[in-house]
Parts: sequence; structure tokens; C-alpha cells
Amino acid sequence: MEMKRPGGELASRPLHFIWIADSSGSMGDDGKIQSLNTAIREAVPHMKKVAEDNPNAQVLVRAVKFSSGAQWHISQPTPVADFAWADLTADGETDMGKGLELVAEQLKMPPMSDRALPPVLVLVSDGQPTDDFEGGLKALMEQPWGKKAVRIAISIGQDADPEVLQKFIGNSELKPLAANSPEALVKHIKWASTAVLKSASSPAAGAEVPAGTDTANVPIPIPTAAPATGTAAQTGTQNAGASTGTPAGTQGDPNDQNTIDDVW
Amino acid sequence: MNDILKPGQTIQCEPSGMPCTIEVLLGAGGQGEVYKAELAGEAVAVKWFFPQMATPEQRASMELLIRKGAPSEHFLYPMEITTAAGVPGFGYIMPLRPKRFKNIVDLMKRTIEPTFRALATAGHNLSHNYLLLHSQGLCYRDISFGNAFFDPTNGDVLIADNDNVSVDGAAVLGVLGTPRFMAPEIVRGEALPSTNTDLFSLSVLIFYMLMVAHPLEGKKEAAIKALDLPAMTKLYGKEPLFIYDPNDDSNRPVPGIHDNALAFWRIYPQFLRDIFIRAFTTGLRDPINGRVRESEWRGEMIRLRDAIFYCPHCSMENFYDSIALKANGGNAGLCWACAAALQLPPRVRIGKSVVMLNYNTELFPHHIDDRRMFDFSVPIAAVSTHPVNPNLWGLKNISNDKWVIKSADGVIKDVEPERSVSLTVGTKIQFGKIEGEIKI
Repeated sequence: MEMKRPGGELASRPLHFIWIADSSGSMGDDGKIQSLNTAIREAVPHMKKVAEDNPNAQVLVRAVKFSSGAQWHISQPTPVADFAWADLTADGETDMGKGLELVAEQLKMPPMSDRALPPVLVLVSDGQPTDDFEGGLKALMEQPWGKKAVRIAISIGQDADPEVLQKFIGNSELKPLAANSPEALVKHIKWASTAVLKSASSPAAGAEVPAGTDTANVPIPIPTAAPATGTAAQTGTQNAGASTGTPAGTQGDPNDQNTIDDVW
Repeated sequence: MNDILKPGQTIQCEPSGMPCTIEVLLGAGGQGEVYKAELAGEAVAVKWFFPQMATPEQRASMELLIRKGAPSEHFLYPMEITTAAGVPGFGYIMPLRPKRFKNIVDLMKRTIEPTFRALATAGHNLSHNYLLLHSQGLCYRDISFGNAFFDPTNGDVLIADNDNVSVDGAAVLGVLGTPRFMAPEIVRGEALPSTNTDLFSLSVLIFYMLMVAHPLEGKKEAAIKALDLPAMTKLYGKEPLFIYDPNDDSNRPVPGIHDNALAFWRIYPQFLRDIFIRAFTTGLRDPINGRVRESEWRGEMIRLRDAIFYCPHCSMENFYDSIALKANGGNAGLCWACAAALQLPPRVRIGKSVVMLNYNTELFPHHIDDRRMFDFSVPIAAVSTHPVNPNLWGLKNISNDKWVIKSADGVIKDVEPERSVSLTVGTKIQFGKIEGEIKI
């Protein structure tokens, strides 16, 4: 296109979005890993749309998988417009700590830039860590970007350890999201990749920060704002009175009642 | 996936009772879903509120807007409430946005590349339409990237997402605004959206459109590592400082980060820089009396349009700046694009305004009658060339009224409609109520 005016695109900051996915053997039971692959594939176009609407953020996506050891599943920070999910397969242990260590290494400066938007880390797991989880978490939290990151955890099925996931989140007001059905998983994954992404792109100032969350550096929109029909807050507007910063109800979406008891 | 309404589903309009057929989901936002639909053979849009948003208060608010009617045809305004059997809540009908209208995000990403003229026209049209809304005692509450649309070819505008509109001063719950557009007093938690805060958001929007940069993002933004909520509250709420505050240079744009602000600021005329300075100095500090009003933006956007002339070398748009011209002893400076020496075209001074007479310039009713509204649909004059000698430029009378001209040597002649007067320095044109003078 012929430029008619000087300058370039609006200045933006990188926003690193990292999936930290459990690909242990138990994820192979009852189609859980296939459900996770589906849920992420389902969320990607919505994630792209949110990113498109936020010119202030340059969203870069990648993924770590952990089983026996951990590995970068999608190693390059990929502009969300070009991002394509690669299916995970299930095998081995649940070395969550090693997964966090890998992330911690990449959150060092460099390779991270010193100016950015808060990264978003989404941990998805169905079981108990089989390695040194505490060590991995410590390594992550030693990095300034690890501390500043918006950390979301999604548990799949009944065997995940809520305490471990809660430690990862590091904010008692924000609970792990329980995905007890494929529908709930799709919904939580979509919420993390749209509403949370949106909030990290443009942390919405102005609302009263509810008690107990004043340490939060990014207000996390509550999933109850997302209807059963799917899309969470994407317009970028912020509601007064709606508890934008209140993480309460992360597990208790009333719209979820039909699906919450489903067994895989 | 689980859309509220299904393609082919029929919903009812209230109070007309007309059936409306849902065609396809267009998108979803924080408050509801928007569908393309058909109503009496016409394509329309239907917004359906999510159950938790479909409150009696929201409905009353929508009914008020429907009763009052759209401030102009440039609003995608609610037309009727809709309900559907077996579906909770309600929605409303509004016009469908034609594809030629693009949002400001496209402009920020440079996927559209309008001329300065189209941008100034869009800035004028947006200001004018928000003024019409405010004149009805209503405020918009969320002026931002996603809900102001314009046609990059000509600056026509459309204002969408009008369901946040409410009576000014009545805001209790609902939308606070969009980060980076919210007035500092809202960011600090001291105020709720109002007409006065809309004025701040409009200033930010116009700055973004003309500068592709944010007015408060300079050194202070560059110094922030993690741009999180506390950092944003400080930058846009507690310690906002204009990047070109003439009395405080501690927040100037940083080369390598804020290059757009640096590139654009210097090429605009001083009058535009001055109004931005006012918008983001007194306008930051005094929400009640300090903000630039829409009628002022409207006037300055017209002035900016009139100041455009083309580089003789690369034909890019540049701006006439009478202050800089005087300071430089009549030297028009260099083109921002190709650095060639600029050459000013003839211009006409009419009252206080100066209009560059480019090959394609047209004059409109407001140029010759300051009581007329800005209306770019029917020009009254156009720059023309002589039918025999194409090197002889003139101003053609395409109005219905006769002009009377007086040449520099005092000869008086009539210029009937469809006739032209040559662009000769010192010629005075009596347009009727006001006189213009050709200058170079």
C-alpha cells in the first residue's frame, strides 16, 4: 500500500502468552488430551480476534509440555496471527516443576525484553506433580517477569491437585478453574485466551480494586461474565459495578450447572 | 458454538410486532452478541444481550434511546426492542454497518492508509456527531478505537455500540470506558463517565487518528517495564503529562519508541499543535471548564483540511502554517516525504479562514457563510482551468448566486454561476455575505 502519511504502525508492547500443558500418560485416558487439543484449537480464532482489536499489544504465543521431563512444544514466540496449534500426545509422568523451569529460563532478560505487557501463563494439568514442583515454581518466581505474569490454572478431571495449582496462581482470591467436562474445558481455555488476554493487553484502571486483590497487577475478569454461549469480554470496555477485579466465582459459573457433573 | 440465536430463527420487534429473521452471528462482545438479520426485506443488525446484561434498567435505557431517536443518520442507533419466544432477555434492532466503514484499529495498524484530508474530515464528522448526541443531554461513555468507524476514502463516519449511551450525569453502573481513552478523573476513581469525560476521550481519539500515538506516552511510558494496572493508573490517571507540554519537557516522545509522535507533530501547523496542547494540559487538569469542546474540534478540523497543499515534487499532502511562514520569511519549508522545497499554491482568504487553492479544491457553503453548517455534499466553488489555456487557473462559481469581483486595479465584474474568475493576486471576490481575497 502506498503510504500517504509519515510514521508506521502504532507502537506496541510484546505480550507473551504461554501454554504450559500436561501431556502425562493419564492425559491419554478418556480422551482428555484430545479434548485439550480441541479446546485450544477452538480458542485460537477467538484469541486472534482479541489480539486484532488491541493494537497496543503484540501477542506472541508458545507452549511448553511436561510429562517425563519437559520440552518446548511450540518453542518460538509466534505472532498470534500466525499461530497454529500442534496436537499434544500423552505419555509418561507429570514433571510440572520442569515445565515451570523451562518457562522461567525463557522469562529471563534477555531473551525477554525489559519493556513488555505482563505475560500470561496458562497451566493445564490433570494430576499431581511427580517432580520438584516447588523448585520449578521458585525458579519461575525468581524472574521479574515470572512474578509479574498473570498466572491462570485449569484442572482437568478429579485428580488434579488444587493446592499445587493454587500455589502456581499465587493469589488466594483467584482459584484454579475446574474443567470437569469437555464443555467446561473449552470454555475455560477460551476464557484464558480471550478475556484474560484482553485484560493483560489493556489492564483496565479506574474500577475499585476489591479487597484482597490489591496486589494483583492485572485485573482478572471473572468467568461469570462469560455466558454459556461462549465469548467472554472482548470489547475492551470495562464495567463499573461488575466486579472486574474479583476472581470470585471462577469455578461457579451458574451457566455451567448443566455440564459441571458430567463425567468423562 | 452455543450462540443465543440460531440462523433462521424468527424474533419479534416491539412495539411494531414485525417479525425479524436471524441470518448469521457477526460477533460477540462483553455485553452480548450481534447478528445479521432481515426485517421486512432489509438487512439489519440485531444485538442480543447476555442474560446478566439484560436487566430492566438496560431495557429502560434502550427504550429511552429508541424514543428519542438517533441524533443523526451517522449513528448505528437502536430502532426497536426485540424479544423471542423461549429465549431469555431481549435485544434490539439497529442498522447494519456497510463494509466501507473501517474502525480506528485498522488505522493504527496501517492496514488502511487514508489521506490527511479524509482523516481531518472524519475528525470533523465525529466531533459534529458526538456534539449532536451531547446536545440531546446524552453521553456516550466509551469513545474508543472499536466503536468509531470511518470511510478512509472520504471521511464519512458511523458511531456504533450506542447501547452504553445514557443521560448525562445519570451514570451509576455500566461502562467506565476503555483503558487509554478514559479521562484521568475516571482512572483515579473520582468520576463516572459524563459528557465532560467524553470530551477527553474524543481528544484522545483525534490525537490517535492524526498522530498514530497516545498523547501521554513519552519518556514516562518508556521508563515502565511491565505495563500493568498500577503502572497504567499512574500514567493515565495519577500523573498524566502531555508529551508536548510546553511547560514540562519531562515526558517527551522517545526516539525508537514513540517515532510516530515525533514524525507527525512537526509536520502539522501550529494551530493544531496549540489545540492539542490545550486539550492535554488544561484539559487534563480541569474536566469542567478546561476541555476542548466538539465545536472547537470541528472548526480546527476544517481549518486543517483547508491548510492542505501538495508537494510539487512528490504530490504528498503538506500543511500551510501562516505562523511558520512568517517566522521563516515566507519560506514554505521542505516536504516531509521527499524533502523537496515546498511551493505554496494560490490561496483565498475569506474572513478569518485561509483555503489553499489546489487543483482539486472546492469551497463549501460554510466557507462563505459562517452561519451555515459544515456540509461537504454541495460545493459552491471549485478550482478550474481555462478551457483554452490549461495553464490559466481560476475559481469557478458553481453556486446559484452571482459573485462580484474587484481586481487589484479596481475593475468590478460579475461572475455568474458556471463562470470562473482567474486566480490573480489581489482579486477580491464578493461571495454575497462575505468577501474573499486571492493571495499567494
